[in-house]
Amino acid sequence: MNRRIAIRNMALILGSVAVLPSCLNDNKGKPVVKLNHLNVDAEQESLVNELTETILPKTKTPGAKDLGINLFVFKMIDDCYDKKGQDEFMAGLKEFADAVDKKHGKPFHELTAAERTAFVNDIEKQSKDPNNKDKDSKANGFYWTVKGQTVFGYTTSKYFMTEKIVYELVPGRYNAMFPVKKKASA
Amino acid sequence: MANLNIDSVKDRTYQAIVIGSGMSGGWAAKELGDKGVKTLILERGRDVKHNKDYPTTNMFPWEFPHHGQITDELREANPIVSKCYAFGEDAQHFFVKDAEHPYVQEKPFDWIRGYQTGGKSLLWARQTQRWSDFDFQGPARDGFAVDWPIRYADIAPWYSHVEKFAGISGNLDGLAELPDGEFLPAFPLNAVERRFSAHVKQHYKNRHVISARCAHLSIPKQIHFDQGRAQCQRRTLCQRGCPFGGYFSANASTIPWALRSGHVTLRPFSVVESIIYDEKLGKATGVRVINANTKEAIEYYADVIFLNAAALNSNLVLLNSTSSRFPNGLGNDSGTLGKYVAFHNYSAHINAEWEGDKEWTTDGRNPAGGGYIPRFRNVYKQETDFLRGYAAGFYASRYRQTNSDGIGDDLKANLVKDDLGLWQVGSHMMGETIPKESNYVTLDKTLKDPFGIPQLKISVEYDDNDAKMKKDYVEQMTEMFTSAGFTNIKASVDSRAPGLDIHEMGGVRMGNDPKTSMLDKWHRLHACQNVYVTDGASMTSTSCQNPSLTYMAFAARAVDHAVSTKGKS
Repeated sequence: MNRRIAIRNMALILGSVAVLPSCLNDNKGKPVVKLNHLNVDAEQESLVNELTETILPKTKTPGAKDLGINLFVFKMIDDCYDKKGQDEFMAGLKEFADAVDKKHGKPFHELTAAERTAFVNDIEKQSKDPNNKDKDSKANGFYWTVKGQTVFGYTTSKYFMTEKIVYELVPGRYNAMFPVKKKASA
Repeated sequence: MANLNIDSVKDRTYQAIVIGSGMSGGWAAKELGDKGVKTLILERGRDVKHNKDYPTTNMFPWEFPHHGQITDELREANPIVSKCYAFGEDAQHFFVKDAEHPYVQEKPFDWIRGYQTGGKSLLWARQTQRWSDFDFQGPARDGFAVDWPIRYADIAPWYSHVEKFAGISGNLDGLAELPDGEFLPAFPLNAVERRFSAHVKQHYKNRHVISARCAHLSIPKQIHFDQGRAQCQRRTLCQRGCPFGGYFSANASTIPWALRSGHVTLRPFSVVESIIYDEKLGKATGVRVINANTKEAIEYYADVIFLNAAALNSNLVLLNSTSSRFPNGLGNDSGTLGKYVAFHNYSAHINAEWEGDKEWTTDGRNPAGGGYIPRFRNVYKQETDFLRGYAAGFYASRYRQTNSDGIGDDLKANLVKDDLGLWQVGSHMMGETIPKESNYVTLDKTLKDPFGIPQLKISVEYDDNDAKMKKDYVEQMTEMFTSAGFTNIKASVDSRAPGLDIHEMGGVRMGNDPKTSMLDKWHRLHACQNVYVTDGASMTSTSCQNPSLTYMAFAARAVDHAVSTKGKS
């Protein structure tokens, strides 16, 4: 899909108040999402897109790209992170890309889905190992930022809040004493 | 915009002017309208009409561009207001941005403001408790500030008057230190809040955990339907403005009611520069207004003026109302104007877990927030090494035990887990602070705001009494939590500046003696008796109740006095 249309659709999903990022050509002639603060090239953009999809792949249920969460992640980091957080994100993104290149000799988006999953699972594993010296690396920091925003975007998405849990805008009730059994069967 | 060429003095003359359309100004206007008094409400901000101007009220979380988060640009541009807990993507448009109305912090003070019809009544936490004589007698008994010129008996009927109209939910708890009122049914305590309430009652003399009393229509009455309001739908999205009018705001209640009387006019974008004092007549004759959009000055005139600009802005207006009779601010013969400012200390919290009551949870949402612990320190006599005391919130809740472990289907499954975790319990303190001459506001001699009005300089800080009280709260609540069997108890204290409590009070205090106070027992300036101040500025002391209900009652009582005496005492 044309990226501009994809972004516009994402904006519709997220609410029409969103400021639409414009598309410009970067120096390499590749189309790139022009964000307000982050300076991301096409390859980096693809990396983040594929990373969100690796974290939250399309299975029997929608994945990150289906839900526009890859674009939401960019929007949040571009709009809501301060300069320091954005610099860390970019530095981590670069380190992450370098680590992928070192291991596979090609960029993240050119890996197979199985390779991407294995790469990400390694980071997840490292985080649980207190002796692993890589777990606090910039690359891993970048990963957890993307994962955090992916999860936030997903759990606050229309899909999740209408089909996975039911968010009630107007509950109309407060039952102070409610049996757990009743809740489970509800 | 008014055309000055045809705008005669007569057209700009009313019987009453109310400065401010928020919590207390709305009440003044409503009462004046009910009594047939031709009234002008001056609101410095834009008009926010009930429902029509609540742009986010029906939005789902995913409909916000950042799903509720504030952008870095907004946060960077607004270091003060972005500290406020309610300053989210859904309600930021109801807060004054830092640059809109600059002020000078001689000491750190986070001044949180709402400049629009309804003021901060759109945004308040809606907790409502009456004062008792333990509060009104506080300064006299404990030897600080000056004696309040009124007692509970003076204000009790006016509490009833405003409670019936506003709609206050609560139980008749029968506590001397927290008088009962005209209540709609309370929002009940949940399993663990009940357990803690029973525990406290059994083990502590004079300590109580009650259902929080709040300005929500749990079950409305005809008087609420008459206002166009409906039952609270337990959304707890109140800061967006409520489409049901389920909680009390001036926008949903007093202001439209006042306008429907046919006697009241609302003029938005009207920044009051000063109150005009006529030296020959010996009274105030009107106000000088700056049009917020055009910066043009215009005057309005009235027999009586109600100053309800919110505590510190009411101070500002009086300080800026100078004349040869009152060179230091209107009514300021005592030299106390701007002084003895105080606030509430919210800077300690405690959290814990409860391993029992696993068979219980809650369903829906509780707009009251949970339980309330009225002040139990130094109520009947002085018993600690600090003066006065604190009230506390108490709440328990259970959440789904989700986690973000793994990726793919594992992650998706972890995010929808239905298992409930342990009950989480928490409390926060609401401490009384002692008004002191050294905590004051004044006008900066050189700096002006965008309307050409001197900037307010705020010099307010905590003292040793606050530190001791905070320590006592943490000790007492830790002990109560421990004896109740709660586990993993964690107290946390923060170093927030005064102001973030949004309970700043005083500076135009009431008192019996014109030499030591600004207002008499009817809220009139001692020295200029057709000016009434019935907002937070009038507070002689702060006690620890949430103050809005008391301001409402003050405003209604003062209007009754003004109209029944027609300015003669």
